[in-house]
Amino acid sequence: MATSTKPDVTGIARPCPAQLAVTLTMVLCGVVLLLMMVFGLAMRLAQANLIAIEPTLFYRLMTAHGIGMVGTAGITGAAIMWHFLSRHVSLTAWVFWALIGFFLAGVIAILEAIFIGGFAGAWTFLFPLPQHSGGLWEPRAAATYLVGVILVGVGFLLFLLEAGRAIVARYGNLGNALGWPLLFTGSQADLPPPTVVASAAVVVFNGIGTIVGAAVLLISLVNLLVPSFSVDALLAKNMIYFFGHVFINASIYMAVIAVYEIIPSYTGRPWKTSRVFVASWSAVMLMVMAVYPHHLQQDTVMPAWALIMGQVISYASGLPLLAVTVFSLLAYLYRSGIRWDLTSALLVLGVFGWAMGSVPAIIDGMVSVNKVMHNTQWVPGHFHTYLLVGEIAIVLGFMSWLGSATEARLKPLPVSGSFWAYTVGGFGFVLVFLTSGAMSIPRRWAVHLPAWWGQDRLGSLFAAITIAGAGLLIWTLAKRLIATSKV
Amino acid sequence: MQSSVLIVTLIGMTCVMAVFWWVLAQSSRSGDCPAAPTQDLYRTRLLIGLAVAGFVITALSLRQWPHAIASSSANPVRVQATGSQWSWEIAPKTLPVGRPVIFSVSTTDVTHGFGVYDSNGDMLFQTQAMPGYVNQVQYQFEKPGIYKVMCMEYCGLAHHDMMEELKVVSKGGE
Repeated sequence: MATSTKPDVTGIARPCPAQLAVTLTMVLCGVVLLLMMVFGLAMRLAQANLIAIEPTLFYRLMTAHGIGMVGTAGITGAAIMWHFLSRHVSLTAWVFWALIGFFLAGVIAILEAIFIGGFAGAWTFLFPLPQHSGGLWEPRAAATYLVGVILVGVGFLLFLLEAGRAIVARYGNLGNALGWPLLFTGSQADLPPPTVVASAAVVVFNGIGTIVGAAVLLISLVNLLVPSFSVDALLAKNMIYFFGHVFINASIYMAVIAVYEIIPSYTGRPWKTSRVFVASWSAVMLMVMAVYPHHLQQDTVMPAWALIMGQVISYASGLPLLAVTVFSLLAYLYRSGIRWDLTSALLVLGVFGWAMGSVPAIIDGMVSVNKVMHNTQWVPGHFHTYLLVGEIAIVLGFMSWLGSATEARLKPLPVSGSFWAYTVGGFGFVLVFLTSGAMSIPRRWAVHLPAWWGQDRLGSLFAAITIAGAGLLIWTLAKRLIATSKV
Repeated sequence: MQSSVLIVTLIGMTCVMAVFWWVLAQSSRSGDCPAAPTQDLYRTRLLIGLAVAGFVITALSLRQWPHAIASSSANPVRVQATGSQWSWEIAPKTLPVGRPVIFSVSTTDVTHGFGVYDSNGDMLFQTQAMPGYVNQVQYQFEKPGIYKVMCMEYCGLAHHDMMEELKVVSKGGE
C-alpha cells in the first residue's frame, strides 16, 4: 500500500512504520465509537422511560460505554501521535502492532468480564467497589476486568516507552525534545517541531499516569484475590483519578498533533515551535498531573491545599489551551484563504469543541460550584463536549485526511450534511447534559424520576441525530481507508 | 447557585463561539498572517486578562472556605449519616431551621455520595462517604420541609434507589 511520506522539517521523508496498523486502528475504532454511541443512546432512552432496560444491564452498558470510549479515545490519540511522530523520529513498527495486540486482548477480557461475568463497577473501578458487587458479579469477573485494563495499560506503556526511546535517540534527551534550550537560553539549534514537543510531554505525563494506574489496578486485583489485603481507600481514589485524568487528557493532547501537522497544509502557514509554545507544553505537562484533586473536592478529609490546588490549576490549565493552541489556530486561520473541506472542518471543530468544553470544566473545578454540581449530569456535559465534539472530531478529521494522504488519487471530501448533523446533534446533546446538571439531575442513575424525563428525551433526540451524522461520516471515511489500504 | 453557574457558562461558551465565528468568517479571504509581534501583543493581553480574572475569581470564591465547619460555640446540630449498599442510616432525621447542622458522613462498604436536595429538586450540598473516613459538611436550613438525600457516587446495582428523607422543622416544631 502507499504510505504517507511527507518530508519533515529536516527535509527527510520517512514512511510511517506500521501504517497499516494505524489505518486498522482508525477503522476499528470508528466501528467501536459507533457501538459505544448506541450504548449511550440506549441509556438515555432508558432514563427517558422510552425503553425498558433492567438496572443490571444498564450498569453493564454504562461500564462498557465508559471504558470503551476512554480506550478508543486513547488508542486513536496514540495512532495520530505515532503517525506524525514517525515523520520526525525513527519508530519501531512492531511496537504499534504490540499496542494493538495488548489492546485487543484487554478488550476481549473486559467484554467477557462485563457481558458474561456481569461486572458493572463503572470504568473507574473505584476501590473497593469491584470487591463489593452486592451480588451483581463474582470476584472472578471483577478480576478479569482489572486484568483486561492492565493489558491495555501494558500496550500503552510499550507505545510510550518506544516514543520516548525514539525521541531521546534523535534529540539526545527529553529536555531538548521539550524545547527547553529555546525556552531557557533562546537557542534555535536543532529546534524540535511541535509534534515532537507535544509527544515528549505526553511521554512524560502519560507514562507516569499509566504506571500509577497499573499500580492501583494491581492493588485492586490483589484485594480481590486476598480480601484481607486492604489499601487506604482515599489513597486508591487519588491514584485512580490521577491515572484517569491524565489518561483521558493525554488522548486529546495526542490527537491535537493532527491539527499541528495538517492545518498548515491548508493555510500555507507552518505551525512553529516558539518560546510560548514550548512554555505552554511544559506547563501542560506539569498541570495535567497536578490538577487531578479537582475530582476529590467533596472529600473534605483531603488537605485543603490539595483542593485549592485542584481549583487553581483547573483554571490555569485553560490558559495554554485558550492562549496558545486556540489562539495560534485562529491566527493561522485568519485571512488564510483556507479551502474548507471535511478534513479541515472536522479538525477546527475539534479544537472548537475542546475550547467550548473547557468552560464548564473550569467552572466545575471551583470548590463552591463543585459542591452542588459534582456527579450531576454537568460532569458528562463538560467531558462529552471536549471528547464528543473535540477529540472524536479531530479523530474523524485525521481519518478523512489519511484517506487522501495515503492515496493521492482520492479527492478531499466536501463538508457534508452528516458533518452538520454530527455537529448540531453533538452540541445539542452536551447542552442538554449541562442544563440537566444545572437542574441537579444526578449522573449514572439507571432509573430517572419522572420530573427528569423531558430532559432525557431531548438528550435522546440529540444523541440520535449525533449518531446518524457520526454513522454516515464513519461509514464514508472507513470505506475510503479500507479502499486505500488495498492499493 | 446552579442557574448562575449555567448562565456564566453559557456566556463563556458564547464568547468562545463568537471569537471562532469572527475568525472563520474571514478565513476564506487571503491575506497576510498577523505579524509575530502583533500576535504576541494580543496573546500577552489575553494571558494577562485571563490571569487577572482567574486571580479575582479564585480570591472571591475561596474568601470563605466552602468546607468550613462551625465551632462548638455556634451550637451546631450534629448528624451521623452512614451509607451502605443501598440505604442511608441517618440520626437524627428531624432537624431545626436556622441552626448550623454538621453532617458526619461515613460508609460501611463502598464509596457513596451524600447529596441533599430541597423540595424543588435542587441540590443544596454534598459530600462523599469514603471507606475508613468521616467527611464532614455543614449546612444551615432556612426553610422547614422535607429534604431528600440521594446517592451521588455510583455504588452498584441499586445506586439510584439509595434515597432517604430529612425533615426540617421550624422552632415551633412544624
